[in-house]
Amino acid sequence: MGKIFLVVPDAPIEDVVQLKSNRTLSSGGIRLGILDNSKANADHLLNLIIEGVKKEYKVDSVVIKRKPTSSRPATDQVLDELAKEADLVISAMAD
Amino acid sequence: MSSLNALLKAPGAMVECDDDPEAVYEFLCSKGWSDGLPVIPPTPERVERMLAYCDRDFDKAVIKVPPRFGAATPVRVAANAVMAGCKPEYFPLVLLALEAMAEEQYNLYGTQATTHPCTPMLIFNGPVAKQVGLNSGHNVMGNYFRANAAIGRAVRLSLVNIGAAIPGTGDMATAGTPAKFTFCVAENEDNSPWEPLHVELGFPRDASTVTVVAAEGPHNVNDHESITPEGILTMVAGTMPNTGSNNAYYEGQPVMAFGPEHAATVASGGMTKKQVKQWLWERATIPMSKFSQEGIDRRFRRKLADQFANAPLDTPIHMWQKPDDLIIIVTGGAGKHSQWVPTFGNTRSATKALKRADGELVKSVEELKRG
Repeated sequence: MGKIFLVVPDAPIEDVVQLKSNRTLSSGGIRLGILDNSKANADHLLNLIIEGVKKEYKVDSVVIKRKPTSSRPATDQVLDELAKEADLVISAMAD
Repeated sequence: MSSLNALLKAPGAMVECDDDPEAVYEFLCSKGWSDGLPVIPPTPERVERMLAYCDRDFDKAVIKVPPRFGAATPVRVAANAVMAGCKPEYFPLVLLALEAMAEEQYNLYGTQATTHPCTPMLIFNGPVAKQVGLNSGHNVMGNYFRANAAIGRAVRLSLVNIGAAIPGTGDMATAGTPAKFTFCVAENEDNSPWEPLHVELGFPRDASTVTVVAAEGPHNVNDHESITPEGILTMVAGTMPNTGSNNAYYEGQPVMAFGPEHAATVASGGMTKKQVKQWLWERATIPMSKFSQEGIDRRFRRKLADQFANAPLDTPIHMWQKPDDLIIIVTGGAGKHSQWVPTFGNTRSATKALKRADGELVKSVEELKRG
């Protein structure tokens, strides 16, 4: 059987620069950030996670932000605030 | 501009398989480049012919398609258009629809990845739709017509293949919709009593446009009895409300696609589109009490507390937020049927006019032909 060439109809994943955070955890404990995506029950799940983290680690502060809707990205302002006020951020959803 | 030959020599631009229709079909399915149906093999020769109606740079993305954010270059889109069965003169309309979906308000990422069964409904207006043979008459939302079938399919294949909207990983639709194979209509401007959609939106009548709507499949409104505007609209308003619709909770612009006979009756007393929208908005409602107690507590009382925290249970829930948000078109053939098309909700439509690379409106698709 002969061979045929086909033009590939998909697109490769473009190279993504992985930024490494220079932040270090304070010796006192974690500044925990939470991004609630506003799905039903996301807040319940995230509260359970916060309690779980607090049992395992020393947590200095918790800052919680919420997206107005799950299907659109968080605003730059929310992301900037989380970057400023948290050492790490947990984002989760649940239906 | 990079030549097609040079672009196709790039690593990964082409693949080789057995020269047999069934082998090609099997191969493409095995790679996940598929909507499940057989396709035309996207050979370099066919892709080159498709690009005869493209006056853009072949390697410049018209959109990056989420969730992978793959670059939808004309070459890649052309490969999908070949697979879908497009004629080359359809190709500018495929690109135009993808460009429209790049508008932020359309929320392509959300519509691609959601569990909701939405898909792009493509509404074409203007002279180019007729030139390429887009159907606006009988069975406009159904099968048979090549331009409607292939243009909508090419857009869907591009979203799947370039954007990696793969069911279960990138496209999380719980059940999806048959409209995901293709959902492409032209407005029946010749048989509409109102100004066509693109004119209503401020485009010149001789512009050719696409309006993209993140839509569910259509739901029929059968009314063979009513002979007054209020009669038809009462039946329409009774069909629109349902508690399971995203449009009950979110913004979004659902579509009311009147059949020409219903439209003629509705307009017979002089009602404008704007008046029809207001009339329907006021009546297409559900009392909050019809929703489940959990829905009332968690959706209305809590998530939409600014509107409903203390609202009485008989508060009417409108099926779209502002009267003018309803999109009205006239499409289809003879018969006493119209179509109600709900949407994803968290999206707004986007309309783009077909233009040449120099920015001038296109009057004929032949203006875009190379050489």
